[in-house]
Amino acid sequence: MKKKLLAGALATAMALGMSFGVGATDDGSTQGTNTFVDGGTELSFWTFQELHVGFWTSMADVWNEQNPDRPINLTVTTGESHSTHSKLLIACQSGEGAPDMADIEIGYYGSFLKDGYLLPINDAVEPYKDDVVMSRVSMYGDNEGNYYGVDFHLGATVAYYNMDIMNEAGVDPADIVTWDDYVEAGKTVLEKTGKPMCAVETSDLFFPQCMMLEKNAQYVDDEGNPNLVTEEHAEVIDYIREMINLGVCEIAPGGGFHTEEWYGHLNDGGVASVIMPLWYMGRFTDYCADLNGKMAIYPIPVWNEGDVREVLQGGTGTSVIKGTENEQLAKDFLAFAKLSKEGCTYEWNELGFDPIRTELWDDPEITDNKDNKFLAYFTTNPFDVLKANGTDITAPNISGAYSATYSTLVSTTYSNAFEISVDQDAMELLQGEQDSIIY
Amino acid sequence: MKKQSVVKKFLYSQKVAPYVFVMPFILTFAIFFAYSIVSMILMSFQKVAGANTTFIGLENYKILTNAVFLKSLKNSVFYTIVTCIMMIPIPMILAAMLNSKHMRAKGTFRSILFIPALTSVVVAGVVFRLMFGELEGSFMNQVMNLFGVEPIIWLRKPVTVWITLFFLCLWRWTGVNMMYYLSGLQQIPADLYESASIDGATGMQQLRYITIPLLKPTTIYVLTISIFGGMAMFSESYMLFNGNKSPNNVATTLVGMLYRMGFEQNQLGIASAIGVIFLLIVLAVNMIQLRINGTIGSKKGE
Amino acid sequence: MSMTKKSRIFTICLFIFFILIAAITLLPLALLAVSSLRPGSDLMRYGLNFSIDWANANLNEYKMLFSGQNAYFTWYKNSLIITVVQVGLALFLSACVGYGFAMYDFKGKNILFLCVLLVMMVPTEVILLPLYRLIVKMKLINNMWGIILPYLVVPMLVFFFRQYLSGIPKDFLDAARVDGCTEYGIFFKIMIPLMKPSFAAMGIYQGMQSWNNFLWPMVVTNSIDKITLPVGLQSLLSPYGNNYDILIAGSCFAIIPILILFICFQRYFIEGMTAGGVKG
Repeated sequence: MKKKLLAGALATAMALGMSFGVGATDDGSTQGTNTFVDGGTELSFWTFQELHVGFWTSMADVWNEQNPDRPINLTVTTGESHSTHSKLLIACQSGEGAPDMADIEIGYYGSFLKDGYLLPINDAVEPYKDDVVMSRVSMYGDNEGNYYGVDFHLGATVAYYNMDIMNEAGVDPADIVTWDDYVEAGKTVLEKTGKPMCAVETSDLFFPQCMMLEKNAQYVDDEGNPNLVTEEHAEVIDYIREMINLGVCEIAPGGGFHTEEWYGHLNDGGVASVIMPLWYMGRFTDYCADLNGKMAIYPIPVWNEGDVREVLQGGTGTSVIKGTENEQLAKDFLAFAKLSKEGCTYEWNELGFDPIRTELWDDPEITDNKDNKFLAYFTTNPFDVLKANGTDITAPNISGAYSATYSTLVSTTYSNAFEISVDQDAMELLQGEQDSIIY
Repeated sequence: MKKQSVVKKFLYSQKVAPYVFVMPFILTFAIFFAYSIVSMILMSFQKVAGANTTFIGLENYKILTNAVFLKSLKNSVFYTIVTCIMMIPIPMILAAMLNSKHMRAKGTFRSILFIPALTSVVVAGVVFRLMFGELEGSFMNQVMNLFGVEPIIWLRKPVTVWITLFFLCLWRWTGVNMMYYLSGLQQIPADLYESASIDGATGMQQLRYITIPLLKPTTIYVLTISIFGGMAMFSESYMLFNGNKSPNNVATTLVGMLYRMGFEQNQLGIASAIGVIFLLIVLAVNMIQLRINGTIGSKKGE
Repeated sequence: MSMTKKSRIFTICLFIFFILIAAITLLPLALLAVSSLRPGSDLMRYGLNFSIDWANANLNEYKMLFSGQNAYFTWYKNSLIITVVQVGLALFLSACVGYGFAMYDFKGKNILFLCVLLVMMVPTEVILLPLYRLIVKMKLINNMWGIILPYLVVPMLVFFFRQYLSGIPKDFLDAARVDGCTEYGIFFKIMIPLMKPSFAAMGIYQGMQSWNNFLWPMVVTNSIDKITLPVGLQSLLSPYGNNYDILIAGSCFAIIPILILFICFQRYFIEGMTAGGVKG
């Protein structure tokens, strides 16, 4: 009797779940494939971001059109973002169950690089070499000049200004050249509007990393060892601390630029500007509907007038995993998808990613496309910034112990530096942080 | 019955039957548990990089001197101690009150208090994460506002992070522990109380001299599960901070550290060493428990 | 006279106290339920609270949940299947093992039971990593059986069933044997019916565990069509934007099956608890 009841209750619940579930399994958003062709080589692909599925399957279709002699049947599996990398790492390590290719986020990339789980793709990239910003490709590489991955975007860092606030304060972002100018402007903004000029994250590293890269300083040294205790790093920390003391800079609500508290704050016009890479445009269009037509994109400030005004940040490198049975095909497909005109155009149009391929920066069909939701959202054209800065761009060094270092930076270092131990000497603090890194 | 095959006869004999019954345990124990423990101990002495493993002696155990590891150990112990202190008296008193003959609608309250335990740690974590959000309109900040307190950034300051974690624990587990105590209470003969009240004992005295001593076996059980639950805490912190990344490792626990090393940074050797240390701690706590309270296994004899 | 009056006041105070406790207990879930009636973007801007504009409250979140535009019900289905299979197998196998320990004397019994206690004492989190690597080697990653197999025999249940059955005199078995019952016949025909109440209690216990289990399924499953409900809900909180619309409504909906189970069987739950392992 009781068991029957139990069985009955569960069966009802199950039937309920099943009947609703039918639609979900077939819609293709969870696991994607391209249009399979007869005799196509099967490739498996792992990503952690659902938006990437459409990109990969579309690119596989384009590839099959252009290379009828080497067709691909691609299956893209989306994982849960936090643990996909962990699982991929263990799959590589144990030699069981790894896919042919995978998207690897920049923070984790070092772990894969360090233990040699990826295949060099130099030969596949060769044909595209002169058309793309190579520092974006070679950063996913080692000291011997091999590179292993290609990003979805250039990841050029820019300054996003809320023009409502800037106008109210009477500051023209175009006049801001150096960080000192930026701070001065910030004081005016604070005085006139009561709002902070910018925010810094305690659970991520974009703002300090941008300033570090402008000083040509890295978090790991040439051998790949953690290198947090540098003059430059201490200077950056002290500079940001000073901005916080002045009230020009705030701790980002929620602790990071990808939290709901922050999006709400940003959308409500709580802060005058954000320093983030261009791929962050998508967050504006998705989460800050109220700022439509109010945001302008300008180059980031620099330390000294005349400095190179561009750095690359964030990103996801796609790589071919060692042990695949179709090395050459996977490599060629990867380079094609990420570096061809077709691929970069898709990335810009659909995902709002700044193209790694420079010819697109001058292509009026791209840069003046009135229907593009990203171009329509912002009052200035991001391509103007890209063109002005050229291709001599500083990329972060993500080799060696970068992953372990990154994990420490985003969990403790900046939280300590800006929120918890604000009075501790920067060098001393960094030494303590460096000592705690396990690599 | 007459023409049983030898095999069948063997399997059906009274000598062999018990082994058939416990076979599922022997198999899962050997395959999953024993194998895992042994491979973990072996791995803790190795460096595992790519396909290569090299024996490196006690190198991995150097983690014992790492500041972050020590912090995670401290966090786990702190959490365990505080939850044990909270999760025994509160449910016990609630159970005693609920069991009182003056109480009405016992079943309803019992069920309501148990409901949080039915929610997944994911759901609970999401709700608490939002309730303790730093926005002015987050529920807890609204409550604080009633007392004239400025909005608090709950999840980024050590003290408030711990308060949130303890609230979460209290919310989810009070009902469960109360259930254990209720079942313990039902075994205390009612005439004990009757004779006590005839002797003029007050409610307080009854609680002190009858209820608490007679609930000792239940308390031991609750204490045991609270200790292991506390030491193994990870998912709560994972949900509250949307990943294994509490600010400044305020709420990074031993398991969090193990997860970070083993799954996030591919330091299998170090992760195994943490596992071994963890195992040793658990066994040590057990030994102490056994010494003080006698085995759980012999509880039925009490 | 004054005695009854005093006790009546006491009753009322007690009652009010428990109403308060119950209100606090239900508060987080009430917040969740109320919030499921407003758009997810509200949560981002205003936080989780009761100040809701009832005029604009709607069921859009639930419509979205049921629209089939997301994998929610795939996760739901996975969780249901895993829960049913795991509860069924774990109850049966653990009952077998518990019966073996309770009713027989055999060589190595004490050592084996010590092993049961050992597994009970060691949190599974400790062996997370080696266990995961084993499952990888067995090629059960991203597979329902990878989640279920390591927990086929649940020590807690074994312990409970052993306690439960130890109250039954062994002469009972001998009598059955004299009647011509085989060893297994005794178990299936006599013991299992006797154990029904404990099955209900442990069914709830194991149902809760399986339905809500998070860490192990998260570790074992990879692809979004194989994950369970808690893992799926967690995945909605991604660094690429949290999908609160589905998360909140989905969280509400996730409690339902286990709540039904509990409401149907809670009577047996407490009875079983009393009769079984946690007694003094």
